[in-house]
Amino acid sequence: MTRSGASPRVSGALTTGDVARSTIVILVVLVVQNTVLDAVRVGGAHPDLMLLLPVAAGYRAGPDRGAVFGFFAGLVADLFLPTPFGLSALVGCLLGFATGTATRGLVRSSWWLPAVVAVAATAAGMGAYAILGAVLGDPGMLKAYLAPALVVSTPFAALAAVPVLRFVSWAVPEPGPSHHVPTGGGLR
Amino acid sequence: MPRRTRRARRVRRGLTIGLLVVASIAIITLDYRGQAHGVISGVKRDAHNAFAPIQRGVDAVAHPVGSFLSGAVHGGDLEAQNAKLRREIGALEQQTLMTQATRNQLRALQRLDQLPWLGGIPTVTAQVTALNSSDFAATVQLDKGSTNGVALDMPVVGGAGLVGQVIEVWSSGCTVRLVTDVDSSIGVRFGSGGNLALVEGSGLGRPLAVNLVAPGTALHRGEILTTSGLQHAQYPADIPVARITSDSSTPSATQESVSAQPVANLSDLEYVDVLQWSSAP
Repeated sequence: MTRSGASPRVSGALTTGDVARSTIVILVVLVVQNTVLDAVRVGGAHPDLMLLLPVAAGYRAGPDRGAVFGFFAGLVADLFLPTPFGLSALVGCLLGFATGTATRGLVRSSWWLPAVVAVAATAAGMGAYAILGAVLGDPGMLKAYLAPALVVSTPFAALAAVPVLRFVSWAVPEPGPSHHVPTGGGLR
Repeated sequence: MPRRTRRARRVRRGLTIGLLVVASIAIITLDYRGQAHGVISGVKRDAHNAFAPIQRGVDAVAHPVGSFLSGAVHGGDLEAQNAKLRREIGALEQQTLMTQATRNQLRALQRLDQLPWLGGIPTVTAQVTALNSSDFAATVQLDKGSTNGVALDMPVVGGAGLVGQVIEVWSSGCTVRLVTDVDSSIGVRFGSGGNLALVEGSGLGRPLAVNLVAPGTALHRGEILTTSGLQHAQYPADIPVARITSDSSTPSATQESVSAQPVANLSDLEYVDVLQWSSAP
């Protein structure tokens, strides 16, 4: 897809505007997460919008940018979390990369594809977060917290996938033609 | 696309994800080993300080907008007189509810003022402003921080007993790890013989695990476990922590299997006291 009908950048280089827009997206989602979604609590868990950012970036712009976007979004999220600092950044970059790699060859004509990708990626991200937390010496993250987090976050991911993807698409440019992903319906 | 270009792209992609993973692991390691903990804590503190006005602003905006939208939706289809009457009734009901809410708040604060087990420990009364920010930790945020005398590791108590411990502080607030968090571990004493045990969290809404209870130890359902206050303990002595809910034992077990419920109502916290107490060095 090209924004406003413009042709994709051949070099695929990021501009200052892209970085500024990405910063705005991360900060706005952070504010929504910390002020609104953290108060929505079901069984001790709440929806996680920050985790959808690397998923959307990977889906939209491929593995490279998904990883970079996920790393910085995770690092910002880590500032406000009591869990090990850097864990969200690690999960974010892996998730952005994995989503970008897994969805690169998909024909994106189905309206439900973003929701399916968001649910699968959120579940994988939550699982990775809990497993890495357990590896770092906190087995309770896997045993006590993962199940309620999955139950709450995955349906929310399905609902929020399209709006988050549109918002991220505003900020993260599509890669150059060599990364070309077939355009169609769905998210674009 | 030429094969060489494709390979170069693959190499670049591998380098990007490799560098990011290494950077993440380095940050986690530095934080864990404590070498950069001061720097990271400082950055987190600054982030919280910068974010606090935004959070207050959003709350202040969201609340009236919500009320306005609610009023617009419900008022549109009413006749003028009915609307007026309903407004009057609504105002009266709101007044009653506010009085009730004020009375509840007053009662909660009075309960905090009469905690018998505090002794002479100075306290900072704080309001709970947010529940856990992570799905992977049981924490709450309070509206009092370092400018009010709150410091790291200070115990936090509610009306009935121990709530948790301060794990992060910034100027206008702090984060408290609840006793139900899986990282929470509290030395306790129980029974007339002063038996010792360890109460550990198992996650929000789950019973606490009481460990290190020797087989055959006399236990009663409903018995209160209080902080042990042993040397280097993280909490002062005699604060009620939990009430025993179940106890079972198998012949080959090395310890009793004991569960307990926190005495503080953690699902309905409004006001708490931060104890300005630190364990002996």
